[in-house]
Amino acid sequence: MLVCIAIPQYRLVPEAAHAAWEDFLDELDAMSPLVDDRGPGLVYLDMRGIAGDPAGWMAHASELAQHLPDPRIGCASNAFVAFAASGVAGGRVCPAGDEARFVAPLPLSLLEIDPKTIERLRLLGVAKLGDLAKLPYGPFVRRFGIESARWHEHARGIDRTPFRPRARGVAIEASIFGEGRIEDETQVFFALRALLARLCDDLERSGKRCGALQLEIELEDAGRAQIDVPLATPTADERGIFDVLRATLEGRTFQAAIVGLRLQAARLEEGGERLTLFAEDDVDAQAVGLALARLEASLGEPARRARIVPAHPLEERFGYDRFSAPARAHGAKAEAPAFSALSAQAVPQLRLLHVREIQVSVRAGQPAAIGTPARNVLECIGPWRIEEGWFGAQVARDEYDVLLEDGGLYRIFRQGERWYVRGAYD
Amino acid sequence: MAPFLPATPAAPASRREAFAALKAAMQGGRSAPRVHTEPLVATGVQALDELLGGGFPRGILAVLEGDLGRRSIAARLLAQATCRGMAAVLDDGELYPPGLVQAGVRLDRLLIVPAATPLSGARAVDLLLRSRVCGTLVMPALALRAPVWARLAGLAHRSGTLVAVVAGGAATAELTFAATVRLRCTLERLLLCGSRGPWCNFAGYDVRVELCKHKYLVPGTRASVRALEIAGEVTLRERAVERRGLAPAMERAVV
Repeated sequence: MLVCIAIPQYRLVPEAAHAAWEDFLDELDAMSPLVDDRGPGLVYLDMRGIAGDPAGWMAHASELAQHLPDPRIGCASNAFVAFAASGVAGGRVCPAGDEARFVAPLPLSLLEIDPKTIERLRLLGVAKLGDLAKLPYGPFVRRFGIESARWHEHARGIDRTPFRPRARGVAIEASIFGEGRIEDETQVFFALRALLARLCDDLERSGKRCGALQLEIELEDAGRAQIDVPLATPTADERGIFDVLRATLEGRTFQAAIVGLRLQAARLEEGGERLTLFAEDDVDAQAVGLALARLEASLGEPARRARIVPAHPLEERFGYDRFSAPARAHGAKAEAPAFSALSAQAVPQLRLLHVREIQVSVRAGQPAAIGTPARNVLECIGPWRIEEGWFGAQVARDEYDVLLEDGGLYRIFRQGERWYVRGAYD
Repeated sequence: MAPFLPATPAAPASRREAFAALKAAMQGGRSAPRVHTEPLVATGVQALDELLGGGFPRGILAVLEGDLGRRSIAARLLAQATCRGMAAVLDDGELYPPGLVQAGVRLDRLLIVPAATPLSGARAVDLLLRSRVCGTLVMPALALRAPVWARLAGLAHRSGTLVAVVAGGAATAELTFAATVRLRCTLERLLLCGSRGPWCNFAGYDVRVELCKHKYLVPGTRASVRALEIAGEVTLRERAVERRGLAPAMERAVV
């Protein structure tokens, strides 16, 4: 038997309930070892082998969920019917073998199908799950697609969705306190190496990898510093983690001597490596993560990744994000190279110059000579009108590509009566 | 009695042809680039790869100097590198990423490192080369001393990374000394599409690339590389450029 606990309010706004929901799931561990979390607002408990009867389980669940807004609880032999039972006022228990009769009077909206399809079904005279169950299976699925096979089964009180118990939380940490004071950087690294060895041993034993570390440093003046160390890819490799840890700590100073260290593994994942026959050339995410940490420690700012924002056919906008190691691409998911990568030709590159005002002599409405001393324009291409800021202050400019007599190829623009240089082709 | 062997039926004319073909082949072999076993980084541009005997050698410092076309070649190198792994570029504020995308660069594999000062730039390149995370690194010609360039060249050699240095105008003596390959790019002709004014599009340019320095190949050889930003069948109008004066004049323009 499954017990379903649904919180409609959390299902509508999942992000608002994340922390409270996780706490609630932890509390449910006391009721059943098998808890299937379907996201904030919906959870199933497998009660097979648990002492008691459905009414007692529902009362227990109701007691645990009393601090949550409007909890709905139901009990049945499968997940869909248990969910349907939770929707009935006050909660219900559906006896085993009575599922089809139980769901027959319930509305189609329980199937979570789009309103258009519900309207189509209504025009066909199908308003309740019982009506749907009476339709012939084959023609119904042919008409409404493969997804409708599930609807038909649900309408007959059948749910084949497998029960997926959530993984139990494991905390892996190592700490060292009260064994003297550390003032030297090398002593910190020595102590960290010892802690890390213990932590990695624990990770190996539990078959886990960690995707991040939390380092807590206790200082002699009762101060505390907490440093989050993200790892590029979940790992249990002691040397790789230590390199990232050291790169993160490089250049940091503390106001007092260190008297305690605590290292906790975060973002735990199951161990093992996903293998594929058709993976493209992958980069070593751990090595990239280490290089990124070192670059940030050395330069004081992170390495970047460019992001293109299509804005105008002539000129695109771009921005920068923090660079993260590229994820391992598998088979068809691998990003295909752009068209030009396949063509054997170079592409002209625009080099952005610091935008400055320039002197331009105009003849017949077009630039004839540019700069001081003046250089003649051999070829002028343009203008192209670019209008920006239509939502605010109106900005309009005319852009030209000009070839000068000295061989330089520039992009210039006129805004109002003034001329500016924007870039040079290279 | 020994069997009588008939004379070879080949006519004197065909012998001459065979001899001429053999001679031509031998001459071709002598003038062909010396075979070297170092792995090469192909640019994907046929004319340039032929000029370089297959591509840039790995683990070297290559300088791209001149006035136009340097970054187009560097973008090709980045495109090739990001197809296979990671690449890095040192950004001195002049980088235009949409152009890189057009050249086929995968931005998710391109590490862009800001270089505010020559010192921070050199430090970043040093770190990247030691970490061995990228196969190709493109950087501007920073104002560095000769020992720094020599150190970076040594690190590039040890890590097997191709470091392409884009130098404005002519490279400095310090950089020239440390570089293994030097290419000079000069604008040959402008390629236009359409008639004039707003009905005319800039389509690209032909760049003359001259090999100035190479470990195995004879300097002085040239190739013409076409950079086009329009794909497909288009009618191009060429405008030959006769250079007068210095190229980067606009960058020094008085405002």
